[in-house]
Amino acid sequence: MLVDAVAEQNQLAGVGLGLRWEFLDDVLDRDQPIDVAFFEVSPENYMRRGGYYPEALERLGESYRFVTHGLTLSLGAVDPPAADYLDELQREVRRLNSPWHSDHLCLSTAGSLVLHELLPLKLCEATAQRCADRLRAIQDRLGVPMAFENISWYAHPGAQELSEADFISLVLERSGCGLLLDVNNVYVNSLNHGFDAAHFIAQLPLDRVMQLHIAGHFTRDDGLVIDTHGARVIDPVLKLLTSTVESTGPVPVLLERDNNIPPLPDLLAELNVVRRAYDAGLAASRGRP
Amino acid sequence: MRSLEDAIADLTLGPLLDADDKLAVDTWLSRHGVEKHDAEQLRNGGLKRLMVYRRLVRANLRSAVQVAIPRVVARMGALFDEYFDRFLAERGPRTHYLRDVTTEFLDFCTGHWETDPRVPAYMMSLARHESVVIELNAMPVRSTEFVTPELTLDNPVRFIEATRLMKHDFAVHELSESDSDRTAPAERPVALFGYRSPEHTTRFLELTPMAAELLRRLLAGSPLGNALNDAAKALDIPLTQPVIDGSARVLADLAERGALLGTELRTEQGTTNAAR
Repeated sequence: MLVDAVAEQNQLAGVGLGLRWEFLDDVLDRDQPIDVAFFEVSPENYMRRGGYYPEALERLGESYRFVTHGLTLSLGAVDPPAADYLDELQREVRRLNSPWHSDHLCLSTAGSLVLHELLPLKLCEATAQRCADRLRAIQDRLGVPMAFENISWYAHPGAQELSEADFISLVLERSGCGLLLDVNNVYVNSLNHGFDAAHFIAQLPLDRVMQLHIAGHFTRDDGLVIDTHGARVIDPVLKLLTSTVESTGPVPVLLERDNNIPPLPDLLAELNVVRRAYDAGLAASRGRP
Repeated sequence: MRSLEDAIADLTLGPLLDADDKLAVDTWLSRHGVEKHDAEQLRNGGLKRLMVYRRLVRANLRSAVQVAIPRVVARMGALFDEYFDRFLAERGPRTHYLRDVTTEFLDFCTGHWETDPRVPAYMMSLARHESVVIELNAMPVRSTEFVTPELTLDNPVRFIEATRLMKHDFAVHELSESDSDRTAPAERPVALFGYRSPEHTTRFLELTPMAAELLRRLLAGSPLGNALNDAAKALDIPLTQPVIDGSARVLADLAERGALLGTELRTEQGTTNAAR
């Protein structure tokens, strides 16, 4: 299954954009397709529904490729996701012809409660094993390769037994799934928890990176940095992207913007900035022995 | 591990826990059976940092409801937050779809608001009227297979999926769309037919009593002839030619609006008379 994903990954290598309803019409109204490698879609926004948005997505699908990225699989929860939810998700991933599906290495449900937020997991071997088992089961169910994303986290729940890098590596090793490495999340965590972001990334098995995410963040008055996806990507994060791509080589990179979404031309200008950082990483990658 | 998960859910959705109140924290840890070494970390500062998730979770859920029922949130003010807090603590969101959290919230409030003298009697009607817009916008598309446009008395009628027949005791549909308006709606029974137009706009039609009784039966799957007879009987009016003509006009109007597809050619039991 991962062999297929590698072929798709090569096809989609480049910079894509998280599809948001705020600029959906602007994209559809353009005479020529915009220059994006792909659009990333949150399937929960389109599952089990009709109306304008699924129809618009179908029209977009005539000109663009989609990659699905979910929000509520709650990979680290004790209970598995409900069967009917997985059925709907499978249908949506197939409908969008996504080459893989990803979700977050986090807790977003507790029993039958759905928290609609990405909460941190207890970093220990038992959780890593549960996440790996869950990922393999979901991958079998969805019929496409799975990848998981490292989250921004602001506090650790309980006694931490593994470092985050070791935890991620363990889940990768035991699940056989891919990594969606969010460069901005690493940067945010490095500020909040006081570590070197580049060193953190160097500890990860970068040959398992299926996709990269990049976004902006916000610093609160008390100094806590929150991953808002509501601002431009700052230079240190772009540099981190470049150095990461230098190691990974060509991969799909996604610019996420969920809040304070600017007009489409501004977003496309930012996409070009991200593309330059990505290209610089690729150029350096080619020069590596 | 479940104990930690339950504790986090309670921390984010439940009553506010004072992280500086040692007794309250100990009670919270022990109520959820959090293991000793995890409890130790939480006591030693971990809990305070974890509280940031309480704000994130609640802000996200509240904004989803605010988008769906802005006028209700504005009119209720602090009372809305009181009930929203109760909803989070006593039931909590169960849906994977953020758009459905409002319906869960209103289902929770039904029964509570009716008996709370602080909540105006029309508020639930207004809330349902506001929230149905998102519900209708998102309803799945129904297949047009096994439908013929001509209506026949012996067969059920097929509507698009995105329809809703609503009865209110207040004319909430006549209120201004402005969040700052505090006018109370007129108290009178109204029946509204809501549907999603082919242009993806939610529209409402106020129905006569006969049209409401007829559509209620048709939406439940009654054959057209039975629905007409039963609707007239329910209202204790004779099924005269003008009543039949009026009903025909209502159905023709709905067909023209794209809300009524035609005669159902297949039921759960098999094909209908019209398909044979």
